[in-house]
Amino acid sequence: MVVDLTVCSRCYACVAACRVEHFLPMGMSWPKLVALETNDDHPIVSTYSVRCNQCQDAPCVEVCPTGATRQRPDGIIVIDQDKCVGCRYCVVACPYQNRTFLSKDKDRGFFPGKIHTDFEKAGKELYPHQVGTTEKCNFCAERIDAGLAKGLKPGIDREATPACVNTCPARALTFGDLDDPDSEVSRLIRERKGFQLHPEYGTDPSIYFIDGKIGCSDKPADDIKAEKAGVAGK
Amino acid sequence: MKTMQAHEWMINYTRQTEWIDRRGIFLWIAFYTGGLGGGLYLVSLFFNSLWGMFLSWLIIAVIKGGAHFIYLGRPLRFWRMVTRPGSSWLSRGIIFVLSFVVLAGAQMAFTYWMPGTAGEIIFKVLAGIAALAVSVYTGFILNTVKGVPFWNSSLLPLLFVSYGVMSGFGLAIVIALSGGDVNLATSETWSRWLLIFNTLLVVIYLLAAANREATGKQSVMEQMRGHLAPVFWAGIVALGIVVPAVLAVFSYIVGEIATALLVTGVACEIIGGLSLRYCILKAGAYKPLVARTS
Repeated sequence: MVVDLTVCSRCYACVAACRVEHFLPMGMSWPKLVALETNDDHPIVSTYSVRCNQCQDAPCVEVCPTGATRQRPDGIIVIDQDKCVGCRYCVVACPYQNRTFLSKDKDRGFFPGKIHTDFEKAGKELYPHQVGTTEKCNFCAERIDAGLAKGLKPGIDREATPACVNTCPARALTFGDLDDPDSEVSRLIRERKGFQLHPEYGTDPSIYFIDGKIGCSDKPADDIKAEKAGVAGK
Repeated sequence: MKTMQAHEWMINYTRQTEWIDRRGIFLWIAFYTGGLGGGLYLVSLFFNSLWGMFLSWLIIAVIKGGAHFIYLGRPLRFWRMVTRPGSSWLSRGIIFVLSFVVLAGAQMAFTYWMPGTAGEIIFKVLAGIAALAVSVYTGFILNTVKGVPFWNSSLLPLLFVSYGVMSGFGLAIVIALSGGDVNLATSETWSRWLLIFNTLLVVIYLLAAANREATGKQSVMEQMRGHLAPVFWAGIVALGIVVPAVLAVFSYIVGEIATALLVTGVACEIIGGLSLRYCILKAGAYKPLVARTS
């Protein structure tokens, strides 16, 4: 996946699309947006859409004591909820902090103490989440598999492409095969100098960013300015 | 501009919370008791103290095992954790713990009913290896976490084992005072030397961490001057080092000190060990995910 930092408009459509696609509990979000102000005199707020990087040398796969986290042949890292024991070693081991442990307080329903909405009821049937296990973005592996079964091509055909990519109105997200030098993602990375987050970890993330000013974050915290307030009131 | 929620964990140093906050407290206890139980068993082998062996077995099997079990999100799937020893230190650790429980149990049975037999010696060796592995593996669990520079030190396993053995000698003192099969003077002597060694080790560890990227320095500063300062100075330094050191010097000069003071020293050492693990887990911080370059 390639994230074009120059066009993201911070509309949160990717976050919403993911929630709908996977019936995510209220206390959990697989993709996240982060705003970063890069200049004190003339604030330039950049937005970074981040999610599990699907690292090719993934620490989470290495540390998982049960084999619940595994890497598919296509490189996507998936979690088998039925095998996850909830030790949270993968949460701690992920240097990008993109894994979330689903505790009871994160799954109290959209209206805690009230009846479940129809959306939540449907989610319990169609995409059950197990409290006490770890979750993360899986690049909509189900969509990809279903699309491939129909002979569709991920990144080209919407039915075989992650929901966040389909939804992004600014086309900031591009999905495709990194192993194919002729794919759109390979072209973007090549021509626009795509970079990974924290390559020094040696994890080889599958998500590249283009046209941003990140990737060199070993700076004092005081040196970083970001928006403090937001829509969530934090 | 106030248009968007900034995820602080992506743009600032962020503490790891899963293994220390809320239910993470159980993991802290499990990590500490692993070192304590393993250390006590090794000390008990040294003294051939059946009481010490039994106590270390209880610490590892009941307290450490129980704390691990309670911490898990899905505890009934516990058995699955032994299936990935090829890559996961947690998987290896659970195997070490289970091995210790079985081997030390067999060893104690041999020691009690068939002392002096080849079986006893074999199980002592095997259980001793397992005890060492139990006390050391938590260090490897932490130092292999790439995202937390404060933990990326090969000193960590050594520090955990050394603290565990020191606390083991401390508990051996209590066993000796209770009339157990342990030599009090030898325990005191070893405890003093290990206190000096561990103090040096902590200083070296912190100095090395402070020079390990800005995030490592941030973790050290958090302990020295930040929210963890009370635990660091009162727990690790005052109770864990200064009080036992003063008592050790006093004991060395006077020759024999009151039982209550000896027990106080041991209690302080254990608090120091607990505080050390707490600070190491609590101060572990990730680099900012995103930061400006100019």
